[in-house]
Amino acid sequence: MDEVVAEYIRRTVLKIPRDEILDVLRQWGFLSDTQLGAINLRQTKESISQEVVQLCEENSADLKQAAILDIIYNNIYPNKRMWSVYQMKKTGEETDLFDFSNFKKKFKGRLQSALKNVTISFREYEDNAIWIRIAWGTPYTKPNQYKTSYVVYHSQTPYVFISVSVLKSNLPLLCQALVVASNYHDIREMELRSHCLNSLKDIVFKRYSQNFQTHYPKQQKNVPTENVDVRIIQEDKSEKERIQRVNQEVFGDGPQPKLEFAQYKLETMFKSDPNMDVLERREPFRCLVKFSSPDLLESLKSLAPAGMADAPLSPLLTCIPQKARNYFKIRERKDVLPGSFVSP
Amino acid sequence: MTSAFPLLPKSWREMEKGKSNSEDGVLAHLERLEAQARESALKQEEKEQQEQKLAGLKARVQELRARRDELRAKLELQQKGLLEKEGVETDKEQPSARAVLEWKIRSMKDLLQLFYLTGISGKLTKRGVCFCISTAYEGTYLHSYYLDVLTKPEVQIQRHSVPTFIPLEQLARKHLQTDIRRFLAVLSDHLNAYAGRRYQVDQLQERFSDRLEGTLQRNSLCNLLVFHYNVSGHSGSFLFSAKLLYSDPCCSLPTEAIVSCTPNAPAELAEMAAAHSETFRRLALHKAFDSFSKAEETQDQALISPPGSPQ
Repeated sequence: MDEVVAEYIRRTVLKIPRDEILDVLRQWGFLSDTQLGAINLRQTKESISQEVVQLCEENSADLKQAAILDIIYNNIYPNKRMWSVYQMKKTGEETDLFDFSNFKKKFKGRLQSALKNVTISFREYEDNAIWIRIAWGTPYTKPNQYKTSYVVYHSQTPYVFISVSVLKSNLPLLCQALVVASNYHDIREMELRSHCLNSLKDIVFKRYSQNFQTHYPKQQKNVPTENVDVRIIQEDKSEKERIQRVNQEVFGDGPQPKLEFAQYKLETMFKSDPNMDVLERREPFRCLVKFSSPDLLESLKSLAPAGMADAPLSPLLTCIPQKARNYFKIRERKDVLPGSFVSP
Repeated sequence: MTSAFPLLPKSWREMEKGKSNSEDGVLAHLERLEAQARESALKQEEKEQQEQKLAGLKARVQELRARRDELRAKLELQQKGLLEKEGVETDKEQPSARAVLEWKIRSMKDLLQLFYLTGISGKLTKRGVCFCISTAYEGTYLHSYYLDVLTKPEVQIQRHSVPTFIPLEQLARKHLQTDIRRFLAVLSDHLNAYAGRRYQVDQLQERFSDRLEGTLQRNSLCNLLVFHYNVSGHSGSFLFSAKLLYSDPCCSLPTEAIVSCTPNAPAELAEMAAAHSETFRRLALHKAFDSFSKAEETQDQALISPPGSPQ
């Protein structure tokens, strides 16, 4: 077995938490059940990884297998990477009969015709997600297995999730290959980034809970009242209820997609009393506002009930899932009314 | 500990003495008592609520029983033809305004549920209408999709829960401004066909997993399927490959079904492959497999007891 492959497998196994090593290897399916059973999990992770490499040696693992293991690792722990969302456009209106084998062929062909030294691996998952792993080389060097990009694509959708890699110069190549393989004609980066891949999917595929009004009533959820002492009377009950209602209209009932930040770049004029002219020249006040949180939308949802903000919240904050973006540029509105609008 | 609280009652101080080295203290004890009191208050409240509910339901039962008796009596009278003679009775039968209102509300609710069951229903909102398209396949209700449509500046879709692989923007461009009914009908066709195709694939994977070999290749719209399945003939079991294409997005049956067997298979299997191809184009996936199983059963039976042979 190639030394590079052995080392790569060893490092990949080292990244996996000890308790989950067997599950990941099982999903990989390259080692037999008996081999998996023989692994001693009570030693240090260093030794475990050495043992796994030994077993892979017995089965003569090659680069292809190692790449698949890497895809599986990234599929189980996608939140370790930063993902950007790209949107593709097409002109044709015919129904697309997406054929996976065709897609693979076209993608590989296009990418390799531009850059021969790449390792390309594919894996299809039950939810129609196609994972692509690309290890980049240069026109003169072999692919570096540690310089990888990952693409997640759901067939027949215009959205692609790309994990930004170090080598940004290869991005146009990657985008072109995607467009050709999926029968679209154009691709652009959306202003939507996060570590949580599933939440990005929830936002663009509209899988998060939006509150639609229907006549057909859904099951009434009984709010648990264990923490409420029935003898305590709430003075501002009506206001609390109003806030709850407004919050529910805006955010829906279910859990919010998980984003880590929202960034607003202000290019607006500073509005002050003309008498106290702060800025001599009338030029836009450059300012960047960034909201960060382990779970931004949930925290926005709990602002009003916690009494820290008025309900309803500013539409600039609540439009994030709807507009599928968390990077905004706010410019001056060019008509009579003062104010600002969000650029498309 | 006791010196720190000289003004506490003796019992408390003794308690403190006893527990001076443990984690429990007066405050902890108080907390426990408070929690107990809260719990019992909650339980009491619950009990009262349940009793109220029960009383309410009992009253309703009485009400309904009285109404039933009333109607029974009325029916009897009608049958005896006494209603016309009893002028006083008719006055009693005149329904109150409240009863009429209740009847109206009930029939409206039934009508709304009826519309919901037909597949396309809507509710007026502040700025337009919220449509609900429900999908179903062969009597099984599947997912519902929503569209918030604004009417005020112009007819446009504010938000929706339609999957991205359904060509919503395309359909909206074509039909939304001109004929909203047509738009909803076409969209409903797309969604129902997709739901139907997906249902068939799920059924196939669920019920016939023993017949399938390897992984079933599909896509988001479920309009291209590639799979391999076992067929048992006279001389053993053979592997068939099937590729189903559904070029019509509003149809849940394939437009093309390519079934092939391994090149070295006996000639009769080629015939069977052609027959299977035809079956796939005619029947739903899981029903097609049902028919294959039945055909094999009858074939087996024919082998065991060929027609005309003595029993």
